[in-house]
Amino acid sequence: MPNDKAISHLISQSMRRKLDDEESARVDSHLRESEEARKFAELSALIQTSVSGTSLVESSGDQNGLSQEAKARLKESIRGAVQQKASLSQADSAGSISASDSGSGRLHDPQLAETSPVQKEVGQSLYQGHENRQAAASFRLVRPIAEGGLGKVWLAQDEKLGRAVAIKQLKSQSLESPQAWQRFHREAEITGHLEHPNVVPLYFYGVDRQSGEPFYAMRFVGKRTLSDAIEEHHDRVEADEECCVSVHRLLSIFQDICQAIAYAHSRGVVHRDLKPDNVVLDNFGQVIVIDWGLAKVLEDGELATKLTSDALLSESDLLQTMQGEAIGTPLYMSPEQAAGELNKIDHRTDVYGLGAILFSILTGKAPHEKSVVGTPPDYSSDLNSVLKIIAASDPPTASDYGKSVPRKLENICVKAMARKQHMRFDSAVDLASAVESWMAGQSGKQAAYDALRMEGRELRADMQATVRDMARNIRFAAGMPSIEGLMKAESDEDKQVWRKRLATVFQGLLKATPYFRSFVYIAVGDGQFTEQVRAERHSSDMSTIRVVPRSHLRSGQISEFVQRVADEMPEEVYTSVVIDPYGDSQEGCATDLRLVSGVPVYDSETEDVSGCVMIECEINQLLRDQLSRGSSAAEVVVACNATNRVLLQSRSGQIIDTGQIETVEQIADHFLTAVETLQTEADFIDGQDSAIFGATLWFVPNERGISYLLRRK
Amino acid sequence: MADVNPANWVDDYGDYLFRYAKSRLRDPGAAEEVVQETFLAGVRYSRQYSGSGSERGWLMGILKRKIVDHIRARAKHNQELVYEDEHDPSEQLFDAAGNWKPGAINWSPPPDQEIEMQELQFVVQGCLETLPENQAAVFVLSAMEEMDTDEVCRELDITPSNMWVRIHRARVGLAKCVSAKWQVDQNIGTNEVKQHAK
Repeated sequence: MPNDKAISHLISQSMRRKLDDEESARVDSHLRESEEARKFAELSALIQTSVSGTSLVESSGDQNGLSQEAKARLKESIRGAVQQKASLSQADSAGSISASDSGSGRLHDPQLAETSPVQKEVGQSLYQGHENRQAAASFRLVRPIAEGGLGKVWLAQDEKLGRAVAIKQLKSQSLESPQAWQRFHREAEITGHLEHPNVVPLYFYGVDRQSGEPFYAMRFVGKRTLSDAIEEHHDRVEADEECCVSVHRLLSIFQDICQAIAYAHSRGVVHRDLKPDNVVLDNFGQVIVIDWGLAKVLEDGELATKLTSDALLSESDLLQTMQGEAIGTPLYMSPEQAAGELNKIDHRTDVYGLGAILFSILTGKAPHEKSVVGTPPDYSSDLNSVLKIIAASDPPTASDYGKSVPRKLENICVKAMARKQHMRFDSAVDLASAVESWMAGQSGKQAAYDALRMEGRELRADMQATVRDMARNIRFAAGMPSIEGLMKAESDEDKQVWRKRLATVFQGLLKATPYFRSFVYIAVGDGQFTEQVRAERHSSDMSTIRVVPRSHLRSGQISEFVQRVADEMPEEVYTSVVIDPYGDSQEGCATDLRLVSGVPVYDSETEDVSGCVMIECEINQLLRDQLSRGSSAAEVVVACNATNRVLLQSRSGQIIDTGQIETVEQIADHFLTAVETLQTEADFIDGQDSAIFGATLWFVPNERGISYLLRRK
Repeated sequence: MADVNPANWVDDYGDYLFRYAKSRLRDPGAAEEVVQETFLAGVRYSRQYSGSGSERGWLMGILKRKIVDHIRARAKHNQELVYEDEHDPSEQLFDAAGNWKPGAINWSPPPDQEIEMQELQFVVQGCLETLPENQAAVFVLSAMEEMDTDEVCRELDITPSNMWVRIHRARVGLAKCVSAKWQVDQNIGTNEVKQHAK
């Protein structure tokens, strides 16, 4: 039999659970017998009634409420929560990041694991008929790739899509600053609203729930910047490597940048931190403008109405977050920025920035590099004095940095970077068009120059072929049995026989090659030479070939030219340009200059040089033939390398015979640089205006040669 | 989503939610704390308010959850204070054989007079504040919030038998307290009881 205490337990439980029949019977029986039990049951039931639901609260009336101080505290905390929520509203609407495992460097999404059914329901009511879709995102941080004044950029892996992305996080030093939060959010929002092929696409913006730190994911575009490309280009120029294609590529990139900025301007956004470091080049030729953290949203621009209020960070707030960072890098700064005239900043500030980038492309230098001494961020110059210089000075020119750049391109640059805003290009598009038209003209000009260069090199190659042809023929002639026979012949009759035979060979060779002027075999010995056989063309009738009679054959002291030939080894051909191969002086140039090749003939018994075979060409005639074939050049001049004397000249395809011997500088100043270069170089390429090309051919290295100088039409 | 107006919450619902929280937590400081948590959660999850119920009811739902969270945290903190469980008021009501001591429950409302519930509630509220923490936690969740046995056991991490023991001790304690104070009330006047209950 249970005691009173046990029954009281059942009475207590009966108020919160249904007793079974046996328990109920036992309680009922006990209640009938025990007054104490009845009092306990009755009182407990009253107490239960009095505390159920909200009855205690409802009965309290207006008393026992919150104190005024408590209400003030609550209101304040609500106000703070509302403000914080507003700043994160973007993240909420995109599906906010809610969980994080910072230990494994993982950022992943939203409250969806716990609340996705609720979210879906909320989405339906939120958009009143428009279904909402919310999805989780998860990014695994791989390694840091860059760090700026405000944020740190990581290479990360999007674990849903298995692709590389770039994640930008607010730097830990900035987390305490509400302005930094706003600026970061603002940067993401502006970037996200600029949908353009040359603006980095933003994939996701969110807040890590555990750390509470904001971040955004964007396309991973690599690390190579325009700054790297410019440096590479100018290093190649310094090393005299081919550069024309590179310049063209850099200017194409520049036009892409102009288009991106023009688009931003159309949305009411001014980048105002344009510099080569803020342009990224991916491996597939894509040009991406990054870092819109300092962008100014124009109040009357399209974007101004689309951003949240936080994104319209005031200028003073923005500048407050910039203290100690990029604002101290005035290398590309416009005068109005340097002067602190923030109200003047508009799209033309970016036109200046674009001009500064163009300047950097052309010269490899930042425009204000001369004004700023030191290396960023530790400038040894006083920043204020540097800013004063930038604000008050005219834009730098390429010549300030000792650089030679195409004049028209430099003019474009100067206009874009004009100190007065109204003197600049009206828009980024206008600037792009100016560069485009220069490139188009340059493209035609480049094609013409390419033709000029090809023609110059063909002229030289043609002359080289003539020399090779001479060498081939003279070796052939020197190996003829007639020469050996003539050398060994003792009787006059034998000599006459061999002389005739050799003359016949020489005649045949002359007939076969129209530009050969003469063939001659001379005997040498004791410092004397004696012509043995000579066949030559008639001086006025080139078609007539004659064998010079013995009575007219020449003899005399060995000349310098003959000695050079005699000094050669067997089969070695010596070629030079001379007035007379038998003359003492080989200096000077003349209109009847001859191209002469000679090969020594060795006595097989004594192994001494017993004679020489020589072949002569009228170089003037050779050049006439070359220049009269027609030319794409406006002017062609062939000059003797030793004296810069002009051998032949043509203008517009017409050979000019002045009858006077002139030097290059007498006929055209613009060839001077070329002929000076050609003293040491095989080619002269006009890197500035692509107007002049020069090619030289040395017959005797560094001694005798000719140069072809061509000027583009 | 229906519009919510957090700026007015304190004025419109602050007192109500506070009294409710205080009746469960028996501590004005803790009550203000959970009310604040309720409002902050309301701001954060304002999109979840569908507008199908009253704004106060929606906030009450959040508050109830916050109260349970608070009690659970407090119970966990007090787990080591086992002596509270050993405080058994029934020792004063039952003799060694487990039978009612004579006059254990001094409860004698006038048979022809209806009980003034408001007066009783003042007395009950005062007595609630005297309950040991672990008994109060079970009583609040089970008797006041009317949670199922399983839920209460899960939230407080206790067994069902432990729960029934605690709730019985709470009921016995309250019965003893209320009957004693009610008797005083009858003797010296309702107003003074009210004052005391505060």
